Amino acid sequence: MNSRKNFIIGTAVLALLLTACSSSSKDVSTAKKITFPTEDLTLNISWWGEQEAPGATKWLEETMALYHKEHPNVTLKQVLQTTEGLVPAFEAAAAAGAGPDIQYFWGGIYAQQPGWDGHIAPISDYLDAEELSHYINAGVEEGYQGKIWTAPWYVNPSFPLLVRKDILEKNGLTTPANWDELMKVCDVLSKKKITTIAGGVKDGWFGGWIYSILGGQSVQSQKDVINAVVGNTSFTDPEHAGWWVKLAESKTHKCWNDDINSLELYQAQQRFVDGKAAMTITAGPDAPNFAKKAGGDSNVTIMAMPAWSDGPMAGKMGTTSQTLGITKWSKYPQVAADFIKFGHTAERLNAWYKLTGSMPADDRFDLTQVESQSTKALFESAISGAPYLENFIPAQLDAEAVFKNVQLILKGSVTPEAAAADMQAQMERLRKTDRKLVDNFTAWSK
Amino acid sequence: MLKQASTVGARNGRPRTISAGQQALKWISPAGIVLIFVFGYSLISLFTQSFRYDGKWVAFENFTLVLTDPLFQTALKHNFYLLFTVPVMVFLAFLLAVTLFETRRGMSFYRAAVFLPYVLPIPVVAVVFGQIYQLRGALNIFLTAIGLDGLAQDWLGEPKIALGTMASVILWKEVGFGVILLLAHIISLPSEVFEASRIDGAGFFRVHWSITRPQIMNTIVFFSVIEAITMVSWVFNYVYVMSNGLGGPGDSTLVSELYIYRSAFSNKAPELAAAAAVCLFLCTLLLVVAFFRIQRRSISGTFGR
Amino acid sequence: MSITRRGIHGSLLGGASRYLLLTFMAATALIPGYIMFVGAFKTQADFLNSPYGMPASLSFGGFRSAWTDKFPQWLINSFVITTGSVVVSVFIASLAAWGFAHFPFKGRETVLGVTVSLMVVPPVVLLIPLFQVGVHLGLISTLRLVIIIYVGLMLPFSIYMLTNYFKSIPNSILESASVDGASPLRIFRSIVIPLSGAPLITLGVVNLLWAWNELLLALVFLQSNEKRTLMVGITGFQSRYSLDIPTVMAGMSIATLPLVVAYLFGQRFFIAGLTAGSVKGE
Repeated sequence: MNSRKNFIIGTAVLALLLTACSSSSKDVSTAKKITFPTEDLTLNISWWGEQEAPGATKWLEETMALYHKEHPNVTLKQVLQTTEGLVPAFEAAAAAGAGPDIQYFWGGIYAQQPGWDGHIAPISDYLDAEELSHYINAGVEEGYQGKIWTAPWYVNPSFPLLVRKDILEKNGLTTPANWDELMKVCDVLSKKKITTIAGGVKDGWFGGWIYSILGGQSVQSQKDVINAVVGNTSFTDPEHAGWWVKLAESKTHKCWNDDINSLELYQAQQRFVDGKAAMTITAGPDAPNFAKKAGGDSNVTIMAMPAWSDGPMAGKMGTTSQTLGITKWSKYPQVAADFIKFGHTAERLNAWYKLTGSMPADDRFDLTQVESQSTKALFESAISGAPYLENFIPAQLDAEAVFKNVQLILKGSVTPEAAAADMQAQMERLRKTDRKLVDNFTAWSK
Repeated sequence: MLKQASTVGARNGRPRTISAGQQALKWISPAGIVLIFVFGYSLISLFTQSFRYDGKWVAFENFTLVLTDPLFQTALKHNFYLLFTVPVMVFLAFLLAVTLFETRRGMSFYRAAVFLPYVLPIPVVAVVFGQIYQLRGALNIFLTAIGLDGLAQDWLGEPKIALGTMASVILWKEVGFGVILLLAHIISLPSEVFEASRIDGAGFFRVHWSITRPQIMNTIVFFSVIEAITMVSWVFNYVYVMSNGLGGPGDSTLVSELYIYRSAFSNKAPELAAAAAVCLFLCTLLLVVAFFRIQRRSISGTFGR
Repeated sequence: MSITRRGIHGSLLGGASRYLLLTFMAATALIPGYIMFVGAFKTQADFLNSPYGMPASLSFGGFRSAWTDKFPQWLINSFVITTGSVVVSVFIASLAAWGFAHFPFKGRETVLGVTVSLMVVPPVVLLIPLFQVGVHLGLISTLRLVIIIYVGLMLPFSIYMLTNYFKSIPNSILESASVDGASPLRIFRSIVIPLSGAPLITLGVVNLLWAWNELLLALVFLQSNEKRTLMVGITGFQSRYSLDIPTVMAGMSIATLPLVVAYLFGQRFFIAGLTAGSVKGE
């Protein structure tokens, strides 16, 4: 059994080496033209997303049925994973070399890492460059050495701040245009014991969001972050550490609900709908739903986090796309790619919007059908938005440094300087324990 | 003691000599096979893995990385803190057991109630308590209602007390087990034990401290050891569910099991997880030795009869 | 015997303080269950408003959302895994315990000691190698592998408990049977097992509790949704976007119900068995 294990490990290493070698060719338009198989086949899809874009399951089932009508020999099955289970389930499949044909990946590092590990076949091998050029964020997030790893599916504007105009007006306030004004709003509302921004960090994810919408404001581009990851700069440098100070400031001004540390994210957002908080931050695809539940365009403004710095991305909405990729072990990658492409036909794009109220990741989507002004503005901002920082740091750094220190800052347990120093220390450690990290990230940034 | 070594098959009139060991082997082997697979193979594989990275031998590199990881040190520290729950648990179990012993009216109801938490699944317990312990949750609402709002804390969100909060949940669930164990033993004690002291007119505390306690000491020790083992090796479920798998807030509820799990499955560093697991195992070996010695005494005692 | 089994009640501890302690204990023990059960019938807003109170109006929405299409499957999986592992573990543990108890071989105490000491090994330590083997053999998301692992984990305690009990069977009975010419197997089947009803049931109950409630291993080894156990399934309820507390509570209530029912009926066995099995006395 030992020798078999060694064989498998050896094969994985070999595969990794081969992938690394072949990635040096910059030829993107190597889309393979293969005749469509005629035998009966099944494609398994493992995915996530109903949780942040309700209605996605319906869309997927519809798309599967329509595709089956066009290609009766293709049967499709889907499994919706839990948030904690998505990655472990994929890892188990990867270790076994068997499992789904189409796999869902969050953008950026979450699509890059499986590519580096040799678990996915680049979508650019199967769809041509012209098609992929319409997929929003594909190049920025999934591009690597001329390839595109996975195909964007829907856009996640990251992250809209929802503001209840009615609550602000009732207290004689207007929507803040920048950070300092936001702090003033916090001061006024907190004196009246009203929560300004409702949030929950017990489950950690919110920390990553805050990092992106505050931290993104002081860097020039995502390349700055990658530089800090590989060690050319430090996370304690002002452009990377400034946002911790701002976060601490928001706590001093009592912007948040007092139980933010014992509440989970979604529980907190409910307060906004119930009128118990003036603002909240939601997942991009979910923002229109929340706005509707809280009274629609007349009551709610959807906007980017107010600017606290004058960096190029300050005050700009972040954007990321959630993606679908083809697994390395799939027996019918070309069919998988074709199915993904099918999801980007005009009818399907419109159906996505109708069923989920969120934006599909395709710039061919017809924006004129969006009635709500705030939603339209949201979508437009997402086409050319700022990169979503959380997707450009190692996932482990995200969980161990960002999530944790956000929890501690919001509790008042650490200083911003200590938080930045901890993030830097963790990054240094991570460069040691993940022995391939520096090479992978360096190659990515080129 | 039955002499099996040489009288097997006596019915045939032709005694075959099979050693006791060989005979025992037949009985023990099914269990033995499973144990060797589940434990033996795993431990060996774990050891070998902890010395490798990506299939190559790296000697102690993984161990150095793990042992110098402030997170791992924190995790071990937290396991150590949790051990302090054990004396509290044992004392409470003893107190409740003797109180139940003294109670006639409603005893079965109370006994059923105290044991119910032990029966409940941990995920259920963790989720429900997660709700109760929130800053605006049931517990704080109750404390405010009875005028003790000074005591109301952010039980799960304050890093300084989060571990204690978690310990309270573990205690809540496990103490019933101890109560039942101890109570069963007390009930089985011969009545003469108490008769004498009753005649003497000894008070409640004196009786139970000086008489009951020594009598059931081996059960008390048994329970203590089981719970100590739990605090080091079996708290993953509680922490995972109550901290959403993070060990938060901050790192305040990180325990070694969670560290290993995250290294292996979230951070994709199975070799580090293996090294950490080896370290944890070595730590628990201390408990194993202690447990072994206790068992030997009671096993010898058993076999010596 | 002038003192009843119930102890020396009455005079030794003031009735009031005794009942105060017990009532407080019972309340602490029962209230979380109450909150869970009552919460299942509330609406979300209702629960947030008053976690303690009775539902403003009986709502079954929680149960509807909890009883998703996979819930029955999870129940079945839990049931299969639990029954399978309990039956197998009790069976082979009793064989092994008899082997230890009945045959004096050299090093018996050591082997038994090591076996029982395996109880302290943290399951997470075994997790990684076993997972890799499982992947290797393609047994991830199979019930078989989980059953085997559960059996392995339950064996040390089971063997310990049964060995203790078997040793306490009076030699006289065993000797007379052996003199009559019965083989060890016969003795085991016809005498030891019938005598061991209570401890076997107790062991079964202890193992059943453990297996039904187990989370970590099921989480890792049962990745596919169809094969998940109930515990894994309801833990997933509480994920990043699970907002609906009544749904969570409803799921929890359903998950707990079989146990509570079994507990209420089987309590007697458990207590009696523990008394006979783990206590050396009369």
